[in-house]
Amino acid sequence: MKKKKKFGFMALVVLVVLSLVACSSEGGSEESDSNEKKELQVAYNAQPPTLDPLISTAVATRDVMRNVYETLLTLDENFEVTPSLAESYEQSKDGKTITFKLRKGIKFHNGDDMTADDVVASMTRWAETTSLGKGSFAGSTFSKIDEETVVLEMPVAQFTVLHMLADPGQAAVIAPKSTIDSATAEGLTEFIGTGPYKFVEWKSDQYVLLSKFEDYQSLDETASGLAGKKEAFIDDIYFQFVTDASTRLAGIQSGEYDIANAISFDNVEQLSTNTDVKNSIDHNGFNGIVFNKKAGLFQNVLARQAINTALNEEAILTAAFTSPDYYELEHGLMIKDQKEWYSEAGKDKYNLNDSEKAKAMLKEAGYNGEEIVILSTRDYEDHYNSAVVVQQQLESIGMKVKLDIYDWATVLQKRADETAYDIFVTGFPTEPIPNKYVFLDSSTEWPGWTNDPIIDDLLNKINTASSQDEAKQHFDALQEEFYEYLPMVKFGNKTTITTVRSNVEGMDFLQGIILWNVDKK
Amino acid sequence: MKGYILRRLLSLIPVLFVVAVVVFLLMHITPGDPAAVILGPEASPDEIAELRENLGLNRPVTEQFVSWFGGVLQGDLGNSIFMKQPVLQAFFEHLGPTLSLAIMAQILAIVVAIPLGILAAKFRGSFLDQTFMGISLLGISIPSFLLGLFLILLVGVELKWLPVAGYKPLNDGLWNHIKYLILPAIALGSMQAALIARMTRSSMLDVLNANYIKTARSKGVKESFIVIKHTLRNAFIPILTIIGHTFGTLVAGAAVVETVFNIPGIGQLIINSVERRDFAVIQGSVLLIAVSYVLINLVIDLLYGVIDPRVRLGRK
Repeated sequence: MKKKKKFGFMALVVLVVLSLVACSSEGGSEESDSNEKKELQVAYNAQPPTLDPLISTAVATRDVMRNVYETLLTLDENFEVTPSLAESYEQSKDGKTITFKLRKGIKFHNGDDMTADDVVASMTRWAETTSLGKGSFAGSTFSKIDEETVVLEMPVAQFTVLHMLADPGQAAVIAPKSTIDSATAEGLTEFIGTGPYKFVEWKSDQYVLLSKFEDYQSLDETASGLAGKKEAFIDDIYFQFVTDASTRLAGIQSGEYDIANAISFDNVEQLSTNTDVKNSIDHNGFNGIVFNKKAGLFQNVLARQAINTALNEEAILTAAFTSPDYYELEHGLMIKDQKEWYSEAGKDKYNLNDSEKAKAMLKEAGYNGEEIVILSTRDYEDHYNSAVVVQQQLESIGMKVKLDIYDWATVLQKRADETAYDIFVTGFPTEPIPNKYVFLDSSTEWPGWTNDPIIDDLLNKINTASSQDEAKQHFDALQEEFYEYLPMVKFGNKTTITTVRSNVEGMDFLQGIILWNVDKK
Repeated sequence: MKGYILRRLLSLIPVLFVVAVVVFLLMHITPGDPAAVILGPEASPDEIAELRENLGLNRPVTEQFVSWFGGVLQGDLGNSIFMKQPVLQAFFEHLGPTLSLAIMAQILAIVVAIPLGILAAKFRGSFLDQTFMGISLLGISIPSFLLGLFLILLVGVELKWLPVAGYKPLNDGLWNHIKYLILPAIALGSMQAALIARMTRSSMLDVLNANYIKTARSKGVKESFIVIKHTLRNAFIPILTIIGHTFGTLVAGAAVVETVFNIPGIGQLIINSVERRDFAVIQGSVLLIAVSYVLINLVIDLLYGVIDPRVRLGRK
């Protein structure tokens, strides 16, 4: 009996060992296969809420899926519109019609050719799904002229139409008609595009795997921003979702990851002495405070102006981004690279830091010591650090200020409730056209509830301008009015830090990391 | 025995109901809207309202509860809004990494702690005993995330011996699987190891002084036999209780370690789901964890009988 037991036990041990060996040798062979492949491990700080670029304005969706999907038009490094899947485009004299000639021989990741039907279906879905589409393309139609020609007809001419079609946020991506037909109310169920990398797998809370698309047809022009030549040198790109900043930092130092985004500003100095990695510091929009203009003290424009007069933007930016290397004191809504738009208007009303004047204005505005609530989150340290400094600066002019700190999901909900706050801290990407800033247009009803007929009128004038010069004149007036009405206070331009291993070359950045043309030596 | 198990299983039902109501209410009292999270920071209120309608979030809370709990009773925990998959499937996909981590941490804890506890008891009051107990005090005191960060910096970044973060499933190879778990398992298991070591020591000390041990010694039984066979076995009940309880804590504590080491386990699933307000996943996961707690305790109770015949059920 005892012998039998012993034999059974030994057999069990042998079985376990054999199965473990089998497992590990199987894995070993897989690993040797993958060694031949070029893999890029990207530690990304947030998981996309969806992979359908039309559904979400989340940057994670944009950054991951820009490798998979392409648009008819796109933006170069100066935010200028250039053709991508369109070979060329022509705008009619009255501006109401745009004819797109499609590039020939473009293949989708499923092997099908891109046709005019796919383009019509994709553009129609974009116009009907996104807020930009619904707001600016109501009554417009996309139709097929022949296999290589698609025409957009609009009820009114829009000067900014090309920029809207090229916008990387909720981009007007081209997908096969079949995947659009099978999309549900919650978005696409298949992710097939024309980009240099194709979607392979989304392992929830772990990674999105993209792999090289062998039949990709690249443009020959020099790469610039999102435009020009795109080459896939990497076989597999893993977007690893690593929400913890210290884990991204450790992983890029140890070589676990090839690229890590959103590295903490506090760690840059430490990394700069490490020869195994290099830091890429890129412009990443701006932060600011948005006033609740529907209820409370800041319905009064004088109160908003008092706050703008009181704030010391330099101190706020230093608290949030540690050093002028990582921020820029800049008043403009459009950045200097956007040469066609950049405006000096309103500069004299930025970064005033004048407490005495602010106190007088506040008194004039009728402030009687009521508590002001600032809504912010610790999910984004720069938001929180800014909020703390704003609180101190407002207290120094005699205001009673309370910080309400929640997680990001709660902030998103609370800021939509006009009774819940007076000010919230948030960030914005730099938009290709002024009309895209959600805090300007009253029709979006976006939290903060801007409602200025002058701004609305100027936005409309920009949209219907007949030339860039005319549009720029209206934009100058708009930026002047922005600093008068103050729907929000802009702190200044911010950057984001992406750290890459020193053997990784070719990474670029325009509203998020660009991974085509990246190679690993 | 069967009646006992049945009674324990039936007691699950009220537990399940109370947990379900509490979790459901907590989730719906907490502010935050999954539709706003999906659509991103620049979405307009109209779009958010439309998606809320599509997701069924505009229905009255009682109606949502009845339809959800009705599903639970039929074994359907609902679907994740974000992952577009059934909650049960999402839960079990994330359970693998957590179990691997917890088992590995438990094994490490037991393998280290029990011999240490035995040696400390055997050489009570010696330098060895004091050193071991000093180390175990340190083990209890250091928070797992801090130990995790130290390990990452030392073993991962400086020495580059082991990966700093991530997870590979078993079918990627045994060594691949294990090497990603070693550091998190040490970080997670250190407190358990300390507890088990201390419990082993005190429990062994109680038994080592018993009369039957003296009798065994006087009969000339080998010392190692006395320690392992007579003492350890009799001292094992409280040790097993600690192991059982700490396994539960391991699974719960894994949430922190999973975040530091980026392991896609249950802890990460729940934290991420709370951040994005994926109600069905949070509710389903908490329910499943409550059920497994009750079941683990039942198994532990039954194991007592295996080790100590005196507490076997149904014996007169």
